[in-house]
Amino acid sequence: MTRLPKCAWVALPLLAACASTPKPTERMASTQSAIREATEVGADRVPEAQLHVKLAQEQVQKAKELMDKGDNQRADLMLQRASADAELGIALTREQATKEQAQRVLWQTRELQQQQNPNK
Amino acid sequence: MKARKGLALGCVSSVIFVSLGCASTPPPRELLDARAAYNRAASGPASQVSPASLHDAKVSLARAERAYSEDEDPTVVRDVAYVAQRKAEMAEADAATISSRQQAQVAMERARMAQAQSAQTAQGQLAQARSQLATTSQELERERQGREEAEKRAQQALDQLAASGAQVRKEERGTVITMPGEVLFASGHADLMPGAKAKLDRIVDVLKQQGDHQITIEGHTDSRGTDALNMDLSQRRAESVRDYLVSRGLTEDKIKATGKGESSPVATNDTAVGRAQNRRVELVIEPLK
Repeated sequence: MTRLPKCAWVALPLLAACASTPKPTERMASTQSAIREATEVGADRVPEAQLHVKLAQEQVQKAKELMDKGDNQRADLMLQRASADAELGIALTREQATKEQAQRVLWQTRELQQQQNPNK
Repeated sequence: MKARKGLALGCVSSVIFVSLGCASTPPPRELLDARAAYNRAASGPASQVSPASLHDAKVSLARAERAYSEDEDPTVVRDVAYVAQRKAEMAEADAATISSRQQAQVAMERARMAQAQSAQTAQGQLAQARSQLATTSQELERERQGREEAEKRAQQALDQLAASGAQVRKEERGTVITMPGEVLFASGHADLMPGAKAKLDRIVDVLKQQGDHQITIEGHTDSRGTDALNMDLSQRRAESVRDYLVSRGLTEDKIKATGKGESSPVATNDTAVGRAQNRRVELVIEPLK
């Protein structure tokens, strides 16, 4: 029986990890769903959010390429980046929408107060 | 043997590769950015308003730090640091969203209260206006009833007068009460006969009920005698009646006396009955304009 040198016990699992990582299809699906959601909530009209959605889309594309090459581990990391960008896009869009809504409410409140107390 | 040698070489190169990563390389830009982003988020309102998001960011950063300190593949370190930075930025965005929402809620609550207050004030004003309107309507109604009653009383008085021998008729110039001359004056005289006064008293009562009116007393004669004499007699008779009415409390400046002589007959002067009808005193009651 061939004996493996001791260092092989260290190196082999590292190599094996690469080969045995399954395709991150689940993360791919959830990331694409997050990108869709970002578009649905209106990321296109918030420049900063739009940028992150674009980055997410590019990273999804890279992840697909990596998956095609069989580098599933790297693809999974790329999808984690894409997911984080898509979610940030959603958060920034919501932030902007809420700010605008709050601004409108404040204006309306001020107008109402002025109507009630025109001298002020 | 050759195979073993090759494997050993691969092994060594792997270890070298891993230990190169292990070398204390400076942290990648992504990790620096992630730390800065997390520190910014943690020192902002996120710790108060979006602690869950901030916790996510903290966990992500810890993972990146661990990857770096444990000398994981630099690509992995950069990727997880990239994710950590996004998570920190997300915590900040979430905090801003929640703060804006809270501001809007406070403003809406204020607006709601202001509206409620305004509605209450408006309702109060409306109630006051309604009450005033009701009062005014009641006053108007009372006034209308009062006027109706006064008119009714005045009409009744006029009707009673008609029953006592005086003629009462409505003409364009006003209500005309006609008293036959015989009832008031002796033939050719302008002094009131004693019985005339009682009859005039009833007229005074009626006139007092008529409210503010202009009264014209016209004296009329038949055609016997000269015009001048008739004119003079009719004038004096009209004045007699006026003086009596004034003496009974009617306002002098609202009573005019005028002699018409024989100029306005109401019947023929060819018969005794006609002449008797022409000898008369007319009281014309006109409403004040």
